[in-house]
Amino acid sequence: MEKRVLICEDSLEGIFSAIYDAYAEKCVHDFTRIQTRESENLELFTSYEHMVSCNEKAVKVIRMILNQFGEETYLYFCRALATEDAEKANAVYHVLQKGISEQNRRIMEKFSEECVNKVFELSRYTNNEIMHLRGFLRFQELENGVLFARIGPRNNILTFLAPHFADRLPGENFIIYDDTRGICVIHPVGREWFLMDDRDMNESALEHFSEKELEYRELFTFFCEKIGIEERRNPGLQRQMCALHFQKYMSEFTGNVPPIYDKSKQIKTN
Amino acid sequence: MQIENEIIKSVSVNQEMSIKEKLGILSDAAKYDVACTSSGVDRKGNGTDMGNTVAGGICHSFAADGRCISLLKILFTNECIYDCKYCLNRCSNDVPRASFTPDEVCELTMEFYRRNYIEGLFLSSGIIQSPTYTMEQIYEAILKLRKVYHFMGYIHVKAIPGADPMLIQRVGMLADRMSVNLELPTAEGLKSLAPNKHRKNILAPMRQIQNGITESRHDLVLYRNAPKFVPAGQSTQMIIGATPESDYQIMAVAENLYRKFDLKRVFYSAFVHVNEDKALPALPGGPPLLREHRLYQADWLLRFYGFQADELLSEEKPNFNILLDPKCDWALRHLEFFPMEINRIDYQMMLRIPGIGVKSAQKIVKARRMAKLDFTDLKRIGVVLKRALYFITCNGRMMYPTKIEEDYITRNLLSVKERLPFDVGTVTYKQLSLFDDVNIPSQSSVMERVLTH
Ligand code: SF4
Repeated sequence: MEKRVLICEDSLEGIFSAIYDAYAEKCVHDFTRIQTRESENLELFTSYEHMVSCNEKAVKVIRMILNQFGEETYLYFCRALATEDAEKANAVYHVLQKGISEQNRRIMEKFSEECVNKVFELSRYTNNEIMHLRGFLRFQELENGVLFARIGPRNNILTFLAPHFADRLPGENFIIYDDTRGICVIHPVGREWFLMDDRDMNESALEHFSEKELEYRELFTFFCEKIGIEERRNPGLQRQMCALHFQKYMSEFTGNVPPIYDKSKQIKTN
Repeated sequence: MQIENEIIKSVSVNQEMSIKEKLGILSDAAKYDVACTSSGVDRKGNGTDMGNTVAGGICHSFAADGRCISLLKILFTNECIYDCKYCLNRCSNDVPRASFTPDEVCELTMEFYRRNYIEGLFLSSGIIQSPTYTMEQIYEAILKLRKVYHFMGYIHVKAIPGADPMLIQRVGMLADRMSVNLELPTAEGLKSLAPNKHRKNILAPMRQIQNGITESRHDLVLYRNAPKFVPAGQSTQMIIGATPESDYQIMAVAENLYRKFDLKRVFYSAFVHVNEDKALPALPGGPPLLREHRLYQADWLLRFYGFQADELLSEEKPNFNILLDPKCDWALRHLEFFPMEINRIDYQMMLRIPGIGVKSAQKIVKARRMAKLDFTDLKRIGVVLKRALYFITCNGRMMYPTKIEEDYITRNLLSVKERLPFDVGTVTYKQLSLFDDVNIPSQSSVMERVLTH
């Protein structure tokens, strides 16, 4: 039988509407893959189709997932799809497909399935990064009192981080900027947070810190130095617990201003 | 360093110290306290004030010693009228002294928290004038932080033994966690190194806080909005290796603290030699890190794996194996339980299999409801087969034909390198001798009498 590869946009909308299409077009699931990028090596006897994202289709699939499998499973999928893994869309597709065909609401507990483990692991990978960044993210106070944080996450996690900080800092205007993807979350005091593309950002405002900013950054760096016990010095453990790719954005490690907003350096992932 | 201290001291005499100087002295003085976590309570933000808390706790940074930085850990003052032999701040030491004002503590906490440097405040103190006076100072600072600065993040406060119970009660209504340090594992140890402290005085506030927590839980059942007393529970810590207690004694004390005082956590702090004092052991190999590590592993077994202290150690075998973690060590001494059949064995027993942790055990229990599991499945689930293979069967079969024999398995397990959080190459042998130094044969009479009543 000929294999089919459905290639879709790398977004929840793109992936969920491709899953919708796989069902609508009566694909034979065992012979169908969903991918968010082109295959590097084209295989024989395989058809490659580019799918069009459709909000309506995606919403139908999401609703179905929530109804049939519950919110927890839906969140597993979302976190898995927030990674950059080449297999993510296919793994979610097959977990869903197995869950539907077995009518198993708890399909995410069937760890004897390879795809379930894959989604579980990807989801955990994203979750770990969310957990880490809830702590490692650093805000800097700009001249106008806005708190600005810059992060370089491996997964697309802004929408997972935002609710945590919005709950914690209701009285602050803050921006969290994802350096890797060129998107940011904006939280204006007293209003809901929202996502924004970096095209609309006012760069010059991000270069001026408040008067107190340097002082507090210095105080915290000093505190971190003092709180370590010399007799237990263990830089290996420190690096293991707080990886260098996080340290790069943390003022207590960089010793000074973390690199500020720079559009030219950003890598678009799709 | 000496000159630096001199300068700081002269500055303190002549003029107001800067906030940086105070922070330097008072965080340096607080660093030996190991209670670093911000865990134990979930509290959503209230929509206006700054702060919330997350039950799992959040690490915000890591110090050069690899320990987590979660809270702004400071002493209110490092002035002290007591003379604990192991402590840098003891009154007989000539060190620079400083004190914060309540506003300074509040401002630092607020500004650090806003920038997401910290999860909250950890406030302890040296004893000024009297325990009650000291507790009053702490209370004032915390009260201000909560009521004037409206801080809703995590607060951990030390209860000072001997302070007026009314004050401890009031602090407990504001703090998330409280702790009273046991300091040393036994009353004898305490007497020899902390002449101003008494076991009785330490256990009294511990009991008071425990009762407060129980009452508050009870009130919460009746009135949903009843104020919470120490909602994240209480913890304590003891110094390991400054006095001659065995691991068995230490674990028995910890077990009692969990059972009889409902403690959330017991922390173990490898003794760091900061004072020259003939009452203190020399510890040429540095702080006993491996020993501390084994105690934490065993503590974990008590709290999450259903083990009891006397299953792990005994009067005859009072100390942990240096080469093997306590769970492997237990399994090797109980080969009669093995191999266990993964598709049948109950969860509690499964937790006793080396190579299977809480997470894999939970996954196994779920997955085997839907399909019989084989070794490939276990690998996928995250079981460390290199360890587990000697102790399990899947569908009646072992992974390889293997001897169930202590020596054979021990040799094989030792060849799988254990991941330790510090460099073992040089440490092991030093630690080895340290264990010998420290462990005078245990006498049951020394065993915690106070704690067992
Ligand atoms: S009471 Fe003892 S341990 Fe505490 S600061 Fe004073 S001397 Fe140090």
